[in-house]
Amino acid sequence: MAGEKPDYRFSLANERTFLAWIRTALALLAGGLACAQFLPPLPIPHLREGIAVALLLLGGVVALRAVDHWARTERAMRLGTDLPKSRFPAVLALIVALGALLLVVAVLIKAFS
Amino acid sequence: MSRDPGASAERTRLAWRRTGLSATAVALLATRPAFAPGAGTWTFLAAGAAMALWAGLIGLAYRRARGLNALPPQPGRLTVTTYAALTIGLAVLGGALVML
Repeated sequence: MAGEKPDYRFSLANERTFLAWIRTALALLAGGLACAQFLPPLPIPHLREGIAVALLLLGGVVALRAVDHWARTERAMRLGTDLPKSRFPAVLALIVALGALLLVVAVLIKAFS
Repeated sequence: MSRDPGASAERTRLAWRRTGLSATAVALLATRPAFAPGAGTWTFLAAGAAMALWAGLIGLAYRRARGLNALPPQPGRLTVTTYAALTIGLAVLGGALVML
């Protein structure tokens, strides 16, 4: 790789951040598989499978971006440039919040109908 | 090399362990359908593939945990990339399982 070797403690911190993102990805995968296996069939056909596939897809994207961000951070540390900025955590938080909101609405509709 | 007061290697090793535990949860969920009555051939094959991916993830984490004993512990570029690839593999496998 280009540039100088950074302090190994920073490399290890970058590695731990990568692992935290991988755990996020694995949690999304577990959520997707759990949806498919433990939810009863929903009133809208294939909604259960749709939710499961969406969560699995999101998990895959998180893993992909985890390794990309790790590599870019490692490179920035070696070259002594600014660490890469990213909107991804905010986007992921918004997606999860939106999903939670939709579920709350669904539960409320079911409770009052 | 002096002792690392922040115990970075130790904390990184524990992070690998935690990640391995998360991977185990996913692998167990992926193999669960194979134990249901009337599981088909494809479900068995998916369970086998999930176990293989899981073994890869655990093996890599084990190797990296040993590598962290060295000073200075080099960042494992190949380990990190392969780990992410195996995780994506689990996502693809999960998608196939849901579609079955």
